[in-house]
Amino acid sequence: MKKRGKGIACIFYGTGYGNGFPDVSRAYAELQPDGKVAIYTGATEVGQGAKTALSQIPAEVLGLTVDDIIFINEDTSITPDAGTAAATRQTYNTGNAIKMAAEELKKELINIAVKELGLNSDAGLEMKDGKIYLKILPDKCITLAQIAAKQSEPLRTFATFTAQTVQIDPETGQGAPYWPYTFSACAVEVEVDTETGQVEIIKAAHAQDVGRAINPKMIEGQMEGGFAMAMGYVLYEDLGLENGRIWNNKLSTYIIPTAMDMPEIQNIIVEDPESTAPYGAKGIGEPVMIPVGPAILNAIYDAVGVRMTEIPVTPMKLLQAIREKEKQGA
Amino acid sequence: MSFNVIGKSVIRVDGLAKVTGKAVYPQDIYMDGMLYGKTLRSTVPHAYFTLDTSKAEKIEGVVRIFTAKDVPGHNAHGVLFKDHEVFCAQKVRRIGDPLAFVVATSEKIAQKAVEAIEVKYEELPAVFDPVEAMKDEIKVHDGTSNIIYHYKLRKGNIEEGFAKSHVVVENVYKTSMVDHAFLQPEAGIAYVEEDGTIVVCAATQYPHFDQLEIAEAMGVPAEKVKVINPAVGGAFGGREDITLQIHLAIAAVATGGPVKAVYSREESFVAHSKRHPEIIKIKTGADKEGKLLALEAEIIADTGAYASWAINVTRKSGIHVTGPYVIPNVKVDAYAVYTNNPFCGAMRGFGATQVPIATEQQMDMLAEKLGISPVEIRLKNAFTKGSETANGQILTESVPLITCIKKVADALEMA
Repeated sequence: MKKRGKGIACIFYGTGYGNGFPDVSRAYAELQPDGKVAIYTGATEVGQGAKTALSQIPAEVLGLTVDDIIFINEDTSITPDAGTAAATRQTYNTGNAIKMAAEELKKELINIAVKELGLNSDAGLEMKDGKIYLKILPDKCITLAQIAAKQSEPLRTFATFTAQTVQIDPETGQGAPYWPYTFSACAVEVEVDTETGQVEIIKAAHAQDVGRAINPKMIEGQMEGGFAMAMGYVLYEDLGLENGRIWNNKLSTYIIPTAMDMPEIQNIIVEDPESTAPYGAKGIGEPVMIPVGPAILNAIYDAVGVRMTEIPVTPMKLLQAIREKEKQGA
Repeated sequence: MSFNVIGKSVIRVDGLAKVTGKAVYPQDIYMDGMLYGKTLRSTVPHAYFTLDTSKAEKIEGVVRIFTAKDVPGHNAHGVLFKDHEVFCAQKVRRIGDPLAFVVATSEKIAQKAVEAIEVKYEELPAVFDPVEAMKDEIKVHDGTSNIIYHYKLRKGNIEEGFAKSHVVVENVYKTSMVDHAFLQPEAGIAYVEEDGTIVVCAATQYPHFDQLEIAEAMGVPAEKVKVINPAVGGAFGGREDITLQIHLAIAAVATGGPVKAVYSREESFVAHSKRHPEIIKIKTGADKEGKLLALEAEIIADTGAYASWAINVTRKSGIHVTGPYVIPNVKVDAYAVYTNNPFCGAMRGFGATQVPIATEQQMDMLAEKLGISPVEIRLKNAFTKGSETANGQILTESVPLITCIKKVADALEMA
């Protein structure tokens, strides 16, 4: 028999290294001869979209497009340390450092423009599309490439951002271990086959607090990826660990979800800007995974009335639990 | 506030190169005169060992075999404790510990030589159950307790909280050890530049930290090491710890030539960290209306043979085991424990992923006992602006949890 059930779960997630450990990101912004801007930082693109999101931030600051940002993050000898691409920290931490470096560069560019254009002040100066111009008299205009040509050395700014957390007391745990926190919730509908113990996810809704969305499509991508990873965690993935040996050490036996297993997911991006974050944006790489697993487990209970306290809930384990329950009922 | 670029679904800047196959992953790098490296790894979980490389060295095409004695600097690495050896010197603590690195003119010869190395093990009793390991009868690292961290949270008075509770649920949950299963198994290449700079190209999450760890193991200043991080085929925490970076650096410096190594999927499974499995004993109490009054939890996280991020992961579990709820009385003890299992480290969610498996099922059980809905009990207790966490931290802004709950509940027509 196939039985359906619904489940919900919600979570909070603390961003960054946490617990008072200095969580530092650094970045350079450098004007290029053609008027583009290069960002140098040690933040790794692991597939999460760092290169794109962290290019959108300086593009916004400088009135440029992402195509005008050259993002360099592959070489330790020319990039400053921006911490690890982990802890959901790059958008927030390195995003802040890059924003600050870009703002500093903007200030310098504006100052140069004031001089070059023979103006009395920076009032009413606009920086857009690779140009700085006076809004009330647009002919008073200089391009970033023209400014670059006048420099004997490349115009370069540097910024550091350090997140604020406070170490907890070792006896009581009192402190401020993370900042910021992100929030998310997930609801799923499952169908359990009581003959086979197989769980199919029929439908899901997934809401993620992002502070501010820098790139909504990439957030949705993360949400779907997190959903899939959580499905694997609670339903499929089993290392076959026995006396310290991993028996399922290839992807033919270590089963991860595929596109075929994915349900229809309604991804909901919730915006509530965080004042210490770049444009209010909080990281979401990890929290997008977290509520999905327990929502599935709660839905299984709603469907067949068994509480699965051990994961993964493989068909065999679920079938055993269902049989056990039937026996007790009979 | 209106934006030009923020909030726009700009196409990924690295997307075209990746979908057209032009992106360079470390495995894609070939250099003239390149040598190939293969790692010999332990096949038993806890043992003293000796190696005899004489037969392997005689195989034609074998250039050199590196072991613990060939590490020029510190034979150690690790993100928090330096408890990993670059190559085990005398003792292995898990299956998959690196013992030697064979460098040869082809991958095939290197593999053949790895198989020709004779390893004699003097096996030791091993411990795989973290609860057993907490007794310290079998020590995974000499001179150190297996319990490497204890997180404590004490807020309010749980006895009082439970006494006042109308409903209490108590259960033990067990989460499993899992792999990141990123698409691209570990690969890398190392060479030495004319000025003596050691260059290691390998996919990593934190190139600047790898640089420091390579430098310490090589016994050179950090500025003599350059880490190039080409396209990374997924990470999820599994590329936080060193795998082949130092082996490649040692081999490149000693042989002078570029040395490349590519792990198979099977080797990748033993080479990098896993997600900490946790045993979560938890008791939760609420009043008649469904307001949480007390929570008590004991968490035991098995970090396997090495600490990696165990302390931070376990702390994160302890902090997040309350769920996103206001609870006046909380007591949490979370332990990180060494065993002879595969080592565990960072993985997406980092300790905060394990605990809701328990916390969130507890919430539903309380709701059922009280005859209220899972949505209702969450809305009653959820953090809002101004709430105080169990750690005493005030959530001053950007706390849209209730919106998240309501939106997903509405979407699935849950009341």
